[in-house]
Amino acid sequence: MKALKLSQSPDNAIGSLLKYLFEQNKISAAFVLCKNNSRDYFYGLITDKNLLEKITPTTPIMPSSAGKMLSKLTMLEPLTSPIAVVLRPCEMRAFYELIKLEQARPDNILFISFTCKGVISIKESKDGFEEKIEAYQKNPATELTLPGLRQCCQICENFVPENADIILPLIEKNDLNNTTFLIKTEKAEDFVQGFEAETVEEELNDTEISKIKEKRARKKAEVFANITPDKLGMKGLIDIFGRCLNCHACGRACPICYCNLCYFDSADSEVGPKAYEAETETKGAYRLPANTIFYHIGRMIHISLSCIGCGMCTDVCPVSIPVGTIFTRVAESAQEVFKYIPGRNIEEKIPILTFKINEFEEIGEE
Amino acid sequence: MEQTFNPRIIGFLCNWCSYAGADLAGVSRLQMPPSIIPIRVMCSSRVDPLFILTALLRGSDAVLVAGCHPGDCHYQYGNYHTRRRIVLFNKIFETLGLETDRVRLAWVSASEGGRYRDVVTQFTEHIKEKGPNPLKKEIFL
Amino acid sequence: MKGKIIEIKSDLNTAIKNIIKTLVQKKLFDAVFVPVRIPSRESFAYLLIKDKEILESITPLPPTMPVQGARALKDLTRLGKLNLRILCIMRPCEIRAAVELAKLRQITLQNLTFFSFDCPGVFPTAEYIKSPEKYDQNIIEKIKAWQEDGLRPNCSICVNFSHYNTPADLHIGFYRNHLLIYPVSKNSQKILDILSYRAEDDLTEWENSINTLLKKKKENRSRKFSLLSNQTKGIENLEEFFTGCINCHNCMRVCPICYCRQCFFESPEQSHHEAEEYLARAKEKGGIRFPPERMVFHLGRMNHMALSCVGCGSCEDGCPMDVPVGQIFSFIGNEVQKMFDYLPGKNLEEPIPLLTFKEDELHEYEDTREKK
Ligand code: SF4
Ligand code: SF4
Ligand code: SF4
Ligand code: SF4
Ligand code: SF4
Ligand code: SF4
Ligand code: FES
Repeated sequence: MKALKLSQSPDNAIGSLLKYLFEQNKISAAFVLCKNNSRDYFYGLITDKNLLEKITPTTPIMPSSAGKMLSKLTMLEPLTSPIAVVLRPCEMRAFYELIKLEQARPDNILFISFTCKGVISIKESKDGFEEKIEAYQKNPATELTLPGLRQCCQICENFVPENADIILPLIEKNDLNNTTFLIKTEKAEDFVQGFEAETVEEELNDTEISKIKEKRARKKAEVFANITPDKLGMKGLIDIFGRCLNCHACGRACPICYCNLCYFDSADSEVGPKAYEAETETKGAYRLPANTIFYHIGRMIHISLSCIGCGMCTDVCPVSIPVGTIFTRVAESAQEVFKYIPGRNIEEKIPILTFKINEFEEIGEE
Repeated sequence: MEQTFNPRIIGFLCNWCSYAGADLAGVSRLQMPPSIIPIRVMCSSRVDPLFILTALLRGSDAVLVAGCHPGDCHYQYGNYHTRRRIVLFNKIFETLGLETDRVRLAWVSASEGGRYRDVVTQFTEHIKEKGPNPLKKEIFL
Repeated sequence: MKGKIIEIKSDLNTAIKNIIKTLVQKKLFDAVFVPVRIPSRESFAYLLIKDKEILESITPLPPTMPVQGARALKDLTRLGKLNLRILCIMRPCEIRAAVELAKLRQITLQNLTFFSFDCPGVFPTAEYIKSPEKYDQNIIEKIKAWQEDGLRPNCSICVNFSHYNTPADLHIGFYRNHLLIYPVSKNSQKILDILSYRAEDDLTEWENSINTLLKKKKENRSRKFSLLSNQTKGIENLEEFFTGCINCHNCMRVCPICYCRQCFFESPEQSHHEAEEYLARAKEKGGIRFPPERMVFHLGRMNHMALSCVGCGSCEDGCPMDVPVGQIFSFIGNEVQKMFDYLPGKNLEEPIPLLTFKEDELHEYEDTREKK
């Protein structure tokens, strides 16, 4: 496919492209990761091209899921003028799921993304972030033991942003001085028309990509080997979630959990004094805050078909429970049943919102 | 003294088929274990998977969801949705290493009093063999 | 008699446990609400316990506070009282928060008896989880020496860590290797009478040790507060203060006082806007952050609850980014509480200042026409 080459760092190249789009009035805003100072990262909706100096789209950190943020922006009505969005593959897949859930609209968005090496967990960014970034940049994507790398990223096999309009092949190259934009869609071609860069023909490097995929798949098998059904069970779940504060921060940070008032915060889910008395009587004791495991399994029921394995949930958990790892494991097996890959295809329905007449016919009849 | 274990099973019965089927079984004086605590729902698809989860985590020994046979749902497609939900529910339980055979989905029509009796009897026997739901005594849920 | 004392033979937790067991055996209580180590051992949860065997496993004085006790108690009693006489073992700040929640009608105090103790402070939960053994050892030393390094920042500036200002029924004091049971409320005397420990009239030694500590903490507090007052002056400083905040709202979710099922700052009114509106806002400044309104959240939350903030520091403990949010809430809380001469949780009868008024007050804040 058509590609544009610049001898600039990825961040600068993205900056140049966005600047061009602003100057040509092709976009009214850019939505991209920004940095205020060495500790303050956030997504910015930028309308003034002079603020582009704050952008840092490839810094390996995800303070919140861009998919979730974009749903805030587009939930009530679609955008009427084009904006450019720079986001990571899992964030884009989350956004697609939110579109299916009618929480977001894709209109008038130019999606720019890149093959993703993963992000450093936000808690790990609190100290020595600069050194961690350095190690991250120096090492190839096949190196999974980078300091602070999210566990969910280490095992993510969907690091190619299939649906983006413009893709930067970052991790196959690991080149900080040159950048390539793969112009994947016609829409993208229109946007980049006239942008000064060397035009070449280039494809995604499938050999490199499958090498990385293989490495991550192996890592995933390793991680999942510790959370097999026989190692879990209620005892295993209590070992993992035992220290849960029931703060529901994981759900609030999860891009898929969009509900304004989560069921598990609602009055519906609360039981009264009679039930507490009865359970204290049968069990001899009652844990408080109540219903932690209920919350997690319940949330799995609600979102596991759409979970894109981003690891936001683990990142914000105040007691560092590996929520994302468990959810990713459950998601994988749930999605497998319905042969569903969340965020892949905007037309594909979320399995729980549809059905087939002739399926699972053995169930219910025996 | 050995106590015999009599399972308590929450039964979500769809109003149009299974509840009528259960009623017929009763009126026909068919013998079956008194293990079901019936809850009438308008359609099997009214059964939110969280109902099942709540029942199991709060200690009921099993959950039966019963509705019209595929094609016969009075809201046309309700039970196809139910089927997917149960599949998903079971898959999640299986992946977490939790018991999946304490939940059963059964299609029982209004005229199938006998089938209702069979389903209840078999399911109760099965749960009896398994023993009480261990979560009943679990504190740290 | 002013109190009863026991020599601590084993460790503090066992000593307190023995008192609790006695009270349950004598049928004064049907159940106990108290922290217990979780099965995987690296943290604690509150349990409401009826079974005497489970009572053996309690840790009345854990070195950390993963969940603010008042929040757990709210879960239990929000919808009404239990028909159980419950003995609640909680830290002073947890009891004060519980009383605030009772005023806000989120906790039913009926049938609850509160037992507090001289609180040595707690270690940050995230730190504790990493190496529980280290801190388990350490807490005993800390209590002996009343040191505060490594504690939650809010704990080292806490001046209400003992029996005064907290409406517990009974209070447990520590000094040297003694444990003192001190009656606070009127009806606690009969509980005390049941315990067959040595009666004591001379509490000077305990009072002195508390006062020495109080003095130290007061100094810490005023030092910290004057620092904070400089750090938080003006919007620029405030922005700087909240640097790193990802606007995740964890601080609100773990705060005992923030009880709303749906926080205003997460409500549709506050968080659903048309794309055009976001764009218009962005155009005013050249750009806006997402999630939007970080400052509105923090300052808004202060407006909602600072008068009731008990300064427990749970918010900071739950912050994934280590924003010193507990310190600023404590500081602002202190400032606004001073205006109304209000100490949250001290007295159930005293209404929260914003829920009441006097006709003749606060004139200095009015811009009246006849102002000179
Ligand atoms: S559950 Fe966790 S890993 Fe899955 S989408 Fe939500 S935040 Fe990401
Ligand atoms: S757990 Fe369920 S109810 Fe709660 S926010 Fe997620 S999807 Fe909504
Ligand atoms: S963020 Fe962590 S502590 Fe809070 S509910 Fe989720 S798992 Fe539990
Ligand atoms: S704001 Fe923070 S310090 Fe104040 S009561 Fe809430 S959690 Fe405690
Ligand atoms: S900030 Fe205000 S609205 Fe939000 S939970 Fe606290 S008191 Fe309620
Ligand atoms: S102060 Fe901390 S806990 Fe509160 S919103 Fe900011 S990052 Fe989240
Ligand atoms: S009406 Fe019986 S299953 Fe829908």
